[in-house]
Amino acid sequence: MGLTDIPIFSMLRTRLEWAQARQRVLAENVANSDTPNFRPRDLAPPKFDSLSASTGPVRLATTESGHLPGLGSGGDSFRTEKRGAYDLRPAGNAVNIEDEMMKVAANQMDYQAVTALYTRSLNLLKTAIGKVG
Amino acid sequence: MDFLKSMAIAATGLRAQAGRMRIISENIANADSTPSAPGADPYRRKIPTFQTEFDRAVGASVVELGKTVTDKSDFQLRYEPGHPAADKNGNVKYPNVNPLVEMTDMREAQRSYQANINVITATRRMLQRTIDILKA
Repeated sequence: MGLTDIPIFSMLRTRLEWAQARQRVLAENVANSDTPNFRPRDLAPPKFDSLSASTGPVRLATTESGHLPGLGSGGDSFRTEKRGAYDLRPAGNAVNIEDEMMKVAANQMDYQAVTALYTRSLNLLKTAIGKVG
Repeated sequence: MDFLKSMAIAATGLRAQAGRMRIISENIANADSTPSAPGADPYRRKIPTFQTEFDRAVGASVVELGKTVTDKSDFQLRYEPGHPAADKNGNVKYPNVNPLVEMTDMREAQRSYQANINVITATRRMLQRTIDILKA
């Protein structure tokens, strides 16, 4: 069994790969921040629907017909913000450098969080195989 | 590796902005370069251009400095009859460089340069995090 067969590791790996790819796209945006007719791009976050089905979200069981369904019963509570209109400059460039900087910082923190989780998960495994430290 | 590619892309941004700075400094340095012969044209302001280019090695659209074009606007005429380059009416052509415009351009180049540096710093930090997994 490989390390990536464990769902948490494969999910974390996907997330890391996504952050890497996103960093590349953001670097492109920043590098081309003064190029005429350049439109910035971004990556859509990965979906773990197929993987998280096995682990699944924790929810309250309704054992009686009168029970109210608990919160967190599916559905994404976060809205993905879509920018309708581009902030277009006269030269046809639509890169907003502040926006890009925010995204770079967010991506970096995201990556940091995932690597921390990865390290913790590795520690769990180490604990399981009885290697202390 | 993607991180190295990110840094390579940001580096092309740095290079392009540095080239822009070079042209801006050329303009500022030559802001008062008068012609040597009477009635001749002085230094003409240069404008840097940027273009996106798809880099196959990196697999992304990188930026590079395009052809440098010249500013077609009129020269400034100053009445200086004693000047060696004055024409018969006593006017001397001065370069069409506006220091204020150059300063604003310079600031913009500086900001863009900084933004690219930020990307490199962030990418490097992310790379460091990956290496930290090994140390754990």
